[in-house]
Amino acid sequence: MNPIDDDTLQAYVDGELDVDAAARVDAALANDAVLARRVQQARAVRAQLHAAFDPVLDEPVPARLSALLQPPAAQATMPSPAVLAGGRRTGAAHRRASRRWFAPGAALAASVALLAVALWWSRPSDDMVRMHDGQPFAAGTLGHALDHALASEPEADAAVAIGLSFRSNDGHICRTFVLRRAPARAGLACHGDAGWALPVLGVAAPAASGELRQAASALPPAVQAAVDARLRGNVFDAQQERAARDAGWR
Amino acid sequence: MNSSDAVREGLIPLLPRLRRLARALAGQAADADDLVQIVLERALARAAQWRPDAALDRWVFAIARNAWRDELRARGRSQHLFAPEDAGEMAVDRAGAQPAQQLELAMALAALPPDHREVVALVLVEGMSYGEAAELLEVPVGTVTSRLARARATLQAHLGKDT
Repeated sequence: MNPIDDDTLQAYVDGELDVDAAARVDAALANDAVLARRVQQARAVRAQLHAAFDPVLDEPVPARLSALLQPPAAQATMPSPAVLAGGRRTGAAHRRASRRWFAPGAALAASVALLAVALWWSRPSDDMVRMHDGQPFAAGTLGHALDHALASEPEADAAVAIGLSFRSNDGHICRTFVLRRAPARAGLACHGDAGWALPVLGVAAPAASGELRQAASALPPAVQAAVDARLRGNVFDAQQERAARDAGWR
Repeated sequence: MNSSDAVREGLIPLLPRLRRLARALAGQAADADDLVQIVLERALARAAQWRPDAALDRWVFAIARNAWRDELRARGRSQHLFAPEDAGEMAVDRAGAQPAQQLELAMALAALPPDHREVVALVLVEGMSYGEAAELLEVPVGTVTSRLARARATLQAHLGKDT
């Protein structure tokens, strides 16, 4: 097998590889503990950066900044930010309310997008997603692949390519997957009593809203982030993956 | 709605991400918000230059990066790079977070050359693709890749002690 070079490995970690190239790295990872450790270290850097900077997203925006974005008419009649910070009802209350809305806005948008993707997925003849208690779960070909397929033994023609398998920090076993059909879709599945829950589904195409999402990536950033958030130990090697399957993904 | 209204309203939901990017670039919270203020003022002044078919976030992030570079030049690098004791501002208490490691990371990030730091901020913190970052920075994708690899190696060396 060709060795995976540094640029390829970095592109893999950053979700820049196409489906086939990512599948090759997945296969190499399952058999190469050193490579898997390097991937894990590269992911750790990104996870630490997010841990350091993402809290900024939830901080209240300083009044002096949001005041700059008030309509000109409101700015003219508005008291100074210092007064607003003590807040009566008008501008400050309004801004606080909108701020509260903005902070969870991303999460809300993500869940709406997830629902849309799930509905869209469940429509084709081959139902890969079923809804259970309002949550998407793997079904059909996808469910079968998650139950049986091993990343260490990729099947060339399979509709579903399995990526990483690992035990999540909540104890459940999770696996990433990519659909080989165009357009590439990817997601994370976590095993539980009701089957494979799908906490994150993504499409590799850029979102229409102008969100910064990379095209043609095997694992969309939302899926990468979900993996980063759940991954504590190592990803399974070939032996652990097989043992997990034999144990029914418990 | 004229273009300045469109930009003004479009910027409101982008403020949290803009502040995060500024924090990753500038380091200290106070410096970062000063940078955001400069960026907002510039964006509003240049609203007529924004075309509605261009993504507003990329447009304003490019303004932020250029404003940060201007600030660096104006202040002189050595003075701007934050002192280690200020890095503590970034170590936000959060369940599961490791402040000591984040402090380490913040210091390592602050010590990176600006070319490396901006790539880390755009790709690893903001989540832009290599292609998007290359376009914003007006450099080839290969340059983004190699800067990111070197920056990562430096940061990883700082984290390596604990992992």
